[in-house]
Amino acid sequence: MKKVHIIIIIIIAVAIGAIFTTLNNTSTYADFGEAAKEPGNEFHVVGKRDKDKEMVYNPKVDANLFSFYMTDNNGVECKVVLHKNKPQDFEHSEQIVLIGKMKMPEKEFQASDILMKCPSKYNDGKPQASK
Amino acid sequence: MNYINEHLGIGKAGNLFVILSFVFALVASISYFLASRDNEEAASWKRIARISFRIHGLSVAGIVGTLFVMLYSHYFEYEYVWHHSSKDMPMRYILSCFWEGQEGSFLLWTFWHVVIGLILQRTAKTFEAPVMATISLVQAFLASMLLGIFVFEHRIGSNPFTVLLRNQPDFANIPLFQNPHYLDKLDGRGLNPLLQNYWMTIHPPTLFLGFALTVVPFAYAIAGLWKKQYNEWIKPALPWAFLGVAILGIGILMGGAWAYEALSFGGFWAWDPVENASLVPWLTLVGTAHLMIINKNNGQSLLAAFFLAVLTFVLILYSTFLTRSGILGESSVHAFTDLGMSGQLLIYLFFFLILGVYLIIKNWKYFPRQSQEEGIWSREFWMFVGAVVLLVSSFQIMFYTSMPVWNKLFDLHKAPAKDVIAFYNNWQLPFAFITTLLIAVGQYLKYKHTGLVEFLKKIAISFILSFALTIWVIYMLNFDKQYYSILLFSSIFAAISNANYMVMVLKGKIKKAGASVAHVGFALVMLGVLLSTSKKDVISRNTSTKSVSALGEKFSDDDNILLTKGDTLPMGKYMVTYTGKCAEGINIKFDVDYFLRDASGNLKKEFTLSPLVQTNPRMGNVAEPDTRHFPTFDVYTHVTYADLEKIKEEKNENKDEYDVEKIKSLKRGDTIFSSNAIIIFDSISTNVDRQKNKIEENDIAIVAHLRAIAVSKKYDATPIYVIHSNMVLPIPFELEPLGLLFTFRKINPSNGEIEISLQEKKSNTKDFIVMQAMIFPYINILWIGAIIMALGTFLAIVERIRK
Repeated sequence: MKKVHIIIIIIIAVAIGAIFTTLNNTSTYADFGEAAKEPGNEFHVVGKRDKDKEMVYNPKVDANLFSFYMTDNNGVECKVVLHKNKPQDFEHSEQIVLIGKMKMPEKEFQASDILMKCPSKYNDGKPQASK
Repeated sequence: MNYINEHLGIGKAGNLFVILSFVFALVASISYFLASRDNEEAASWKRIARISFRIHGLSVAGIVGTLFVMLYSHYFEYEYVWHHSSKDMPMRYILSCFWEGQEGSFLLWTFWHVVIGLILQRTAKTFEAPVMATISLVQAFLASMLLGIFVFEHRIGSNPFTVLLRNQPDFANIPLFQNPHYLDKLDGRGLNPLLQNYWMTIHPPTLFLGFALTVVPFAYAIAGLWKKQYNEWIKPALPWAFLGVAILGIGILMGGAWAYEALSFGGFWAWDPVENASLVPWLTLVGTAHLMIINKNNGQSLLAAFFLAVLTFVLILYSTFLTRSGILGESSVHAFTDLGMSGQLLIYLFFFLILGVYLIIKNWKYFPRQSQEEGIWSREFWMFVGAVVLLVSSFQIMFYTSMPVWNKLFDLHKAPAKDVIAFYNNWQLPFAFITTLLIAVGQYLKYKHTGLVEFLKKIAISFILSFALTIWVIYMLNFDKQYYSILLFSSIFAAISNANYMVMVLKGKIKKAGASVAHVGFALVMLGVLLSTSKKDVISRNTSTKSVSALGEKFSDDDNILLTKGDTLPMGKYMVTYTGKCAEGINIKFDVDYFLRDASGNLKKEFTLSPLVQTNPRMGNVAEPDTRHFPTFDVYTHVTYADLEKIKEEKNENKDEYDVEKIKSLKRGDTIFSSNAIIIFDSISTNVDRQKNKIEENDIAIVAHLRAIAVSKKYDATPIYVIHSNMVLPIPFELEPLGLLFTFRKINPSNGEIEISLQEKKSNTKDFIVMQAMIFPYINILWIGAIIMALGTFLAIVERIRK
């Protein structure tokens, strides 16, 4: 076989490996309901902060513990315990993505990480008169 | 309604320039196409084409100038100006506003193509017509992104000159626009605070120039296939390919430096989709350029060179699509929105992909074939392998990054893994290892065949030196990651071997040393990345006396440290004190002093770092790091949480007083929080020491058992509820160590619920910050390597142009 062909076969093998490990190294987007059905598994849950419910952050006790309530994209609400500091500007977040596992039977989502989408620079703010 | 003082004329002028730019790009493209034919009229078509492209260039300059005037003069009646600038913005940021928006960045890209095209008009000689035809067509597509016209209810492009703020559908019914004098009072939204720095002025133009340069090898490749000049396109295109490598590489590294300096994610590369989308075309461009060298010297690898040249440009278009279509939405920290142009971008992408692939397939059988196959001990074989490795590396990155695209296409719901950085690093490590190894040995290999003994002799000294240095580094740095050690060796090997090549083989002739210098630079970049990332030390990791997580599942060890004002805490090898905060304009700076113990054991202040939070009520607050640079390491810090109220301290408050009562209703097992503890209501009982508390026989006395858990200790609190002569006279419990006062106010006998009031000493609510700090060892090797790589590449380009 020509050397070039050998190389090409190796490329294809590696590429298949890349695809395979990619599919195995992904988490899944889910809502609270789905996460509750598989309490040990990690999911990404997208939603919005529940403005009416309380947020608790006491950094002097534990700087890496923050709890709040979130409503997922299906309208289901759940208490979230985030094992990280309260993100700066949490109150302004438009959308939140949580990474974590649902804890049953308490029905609390234990999040190890959070991604926030703050008001998009393209969407927010209406023209206002300057003072 | 007749609005006063609107400047509508300039918008019309800008729009005219946009239309002219599009029309003349199209005309230039058609004329150059006709000029590429081998007939008598070709010459006159070429003249028309040249003039058309120049008019197109002038129109682009017109668009740029008009937009500048509008931004400079604060014409907020235009949506683009309102969206990206404001009256109080310093003028030095006007460039940043220019390309902050999608339209502006398309314009920047178009502008660079004009510059490149004008140069090529003079230098491309026989290739001018087909190359310029391709570039003009690309320009026509790009110009169409600015048109903003409607065709069959589909909007083509987005035009900064035709969208008036008051016509924007979202703002249609705002009271402001009922006022004909609305312009007098209107101020713009302003530039995103994260973009108000010098990086926003230099990074986008560099990066976009890099993007623009990939069109040159592409256009030359198309021209070569079209005119059936399968080898001749390589020599003129080669310096352009390397210029792209240099500039795009610098642009990407600038992005990394910006992230490191101004963003609080803690590093310079996050494998973020937008970062990856720029890195991947760079990798394939490097592959393209090296394959072009092989072909120029040896005639081999022609198909691969064509393929990669087309692929690189298509990947640039794909990266544009990914970043601008909004499809990355949830998986990237770069916030993007869909301006509705994703369909257009896709058409654009597929058009050029199909064009390139079609031409390659059609012409493949006519490619000049080499009589012998490349020997396994030849430079061209191993450079080919290198290009292939770069291609596979790009594939892995692109495949994972495109997850949102696969989600959309196949209706999946895959999300990125929690630790993507580790995933990419693990995959890319072997590719980086092979690449640096090839860089180490590549120049010592000869074309066609290398004598093995000769080769080993030449490489031996570098190999031995590198091996020894690697062992030394592993020992000195306590480098315990075995998997990464191979990359440590190969990068050191690449650096030393290329330096050796410069000295021994080139005998110090700087002019010919471009490649060696660039390779040394790249090897140092890899080394710097490896050392600073794998030995990154998060010194703010919870290092308090007891492990916090031992207190229960509710607590966790993590990267943040809490600093109360005035207290001194250990962090890594330093002792740190948070001394206070102050406001500077829109920034709030938090001063933290760093101390080291000197020989006699005293604390000596080494330096102060002031990470800040930039407040912007419209866009959200943003934390910016402060980093101290030492020659062999950096101390990087940023604030993860701070109370931004109460900037001015109340000086005369009695800190020993108790603050206002917080009243809470509790059932058994409930928890309340003070600022420094968790308090759990365990139980109530009547087991009270009446004598000690001076409670009479006939009184009712109930004690509440509360448990207070603070960072390192647990306490019991026992406030007592007493009814004496029909009056409630509670006996409060003072928990001195935590500065808390508990009063048992009410009890509901039917359900066992109680009401407790909690008061904290004012000194409890002392100012504090939550901060992260990291040490990046040897990160300067990365930046130095980047500069060397750029210098080397430019050296090589200059040498090629001269030849």
